[in-house]
Amino acid sequence: MDLTPRTSEVNAPLAPRKRNTKWGYVALLVVIVLAGGTIVTKFLTSAIDYYCNVDEIGSRVGCEPGRRIRVQGTVEKGSLKSVNNSTNFVMIFNKKTIQVVYEGDPGGIFQECIPVVAQGRLVGEVFEATRIEVKHSNAYVADNADRLKKAEAQVCSPQAG
Amino acid sequence: MEAQTFTARVATPTTRLVGAMALVSMAWVVIGGLFVTPRDVDQGDAVRIMYVHVPTAWVAYLAFIVTAVASACWLLSRKHSMGFDRVAGASAEVGVVFMAMTLLSGSLWGRITWGSYWAWDPRLTTTAFLLVTYIGYLAVRGLGGSLEQRARRSAVIALLAVLEIPLVHFSVLMWRSLHQKASVLSGDGDIKMDGSMLTTLLVGVIGFTLTFTWLVLHRQRVLAMQDAMQMTQLDAALRERANESENKSVIESSRLK
Repeated sequence: MDLTPRTSEVNAPLAPRKRNTKWGYVALLVVIVLAGGTIVTKFLTSAIDYYCNVDEIGSRVGCEPGRRIRVQGTVEKGSLKSVNNSTNFVMIFNKKTIQVVYEGDPGGIFQECIPVVAQGRLVGEVFEATRIEVKHSNAYVADNADRLKKAEAQVCSPQAG
Repeated sequence: MEAQTFTARVATPTTRLVGAMALVSMAWVVIGGLFVTPRDVDQGDAVRIMYVHVPTAWVAYLAFIVTAVASACWLLSRKHSMGFDRVAGASAEVGVVFMAMTLLSGSLWGRITWGSYWAWDPRLTTTAFLLVTYIGYLAVRGLGGSLEQRARRSAVIALLAVLEIPLVHFSVLMWRSLHQKASVLSGDGDIKMDGSMLTTLLVGVIGFTLTFTWLVLHRQRVLAMQDAMQMTQLDAALRERANESENKSVIESSRLK
C-alpha cells in the first residue's frame, strides 16, 4: 500500500484541519503552564502563611517591624473612628494591641469585634494599612434581633480570630 | 427530527429519574436558600451564596476523584475499556465547570464579606491551581492521536492531579488562611451553623451531586458517539486510501505493460 503523504488538495481534505486543531491544543497547554507558573509564583511571593498575629510582630521570623506584612487581630470594641476619610482602630490579639490607620473605608462587613487582616507597614507605633480584609469565622448564626442586642452589649473577645 | 433521535439515544429511564430528582432538590435549594433560611448575623444576605459555593466545591472534588478512579480502572483493566476513559473525561469536564462556579461564587462572597474579590491566600491559590491543572488535563485529552494514546496519557495526568485535592482541602489547616475553616466537616463534631441553613446546604450538596451524575451520564454517552464517529471516519479514510493505492498500482502496472 502506498503510504506517502498526499500533496493534492482534493485528495487530502482532513489532514490540514487536524494539524491546526493539534497546534491549538499545544498553544492552550503553553498558556496553561504559564498560568500555573504565575499562580505558584504569586502564592510563594505572598508567603504560605497569609498573616502574622498582632502578638507576633517583632517576635516571629517574617513579622519584623518596618517590613511590609499582613497582621491579623480583632477590631477592639469602642476603638473604631472615622476621621477625614481615614479609618482608625485598635487591633487586638492575645492581649497585645496595635493602632491601625487606613485611608478610606475598608468595605466588606468591617465592624468592631470582627477579626481582620491588615496589610501594610508598622511606622513607629502605628500600623499604616494599605488593604484591610475581614476574616470571617466558620460559624453561621441566624440574624436575630434579640441576639444582636445581647451581642452588642458584650465586650468582644480579644482572643477572637 | 435529529434532536429527537439524539434525546432518545442519550437518555434512559435512570437518567430521567436522576434528572427529575436533581430538579426537585435544586428547586428546594432555590426556595430554601432565597426565602426560607435566615440572614447571617454578620454576613447578612451574602450567606446565601454558600448554598451554591459549598456544594459546587464538593462536586468538583467528587468529579476529579471520579476521573482518577476511572483512569485507574482504565490503566489496570486488561481490556482497557474506553468506557472508563470517557467517564474520566466527562467527569473532568463537569468538574472544571463546577470548580469555576466555586471560584466565581467565592469571589463574589469575598467582595461582600472580606472587602475584596481575591486574595493570594493558601485556599484560594491552591483552588485556582487545581482548576488550571484540570483545564490542562482536558487540553491533553484533545491533543490528538489514537483513542488509546488519549486514554493512557490523560489517565497518568489524572492520577497525579488528584493528589492536589487534599492539599486544597487541608490548606486552611496547614497554613494561616483568610478563608474560614470547614464548618460541617470540622473534625471536632461541632457544626457551627444554624439548623435551617445546614438543612438547605445538605440538600444543595445532594442536588448538585445529582446534577453532576446526570451531566456525566449524558456527557459520556455523547463522548461515546464522538469516538464512534471518529472511528467511522477513520475507517472511511482508510478504505478511501486503500482504493486510491489500488488504482495507482493498476495504472502503474498497465503503463509497465
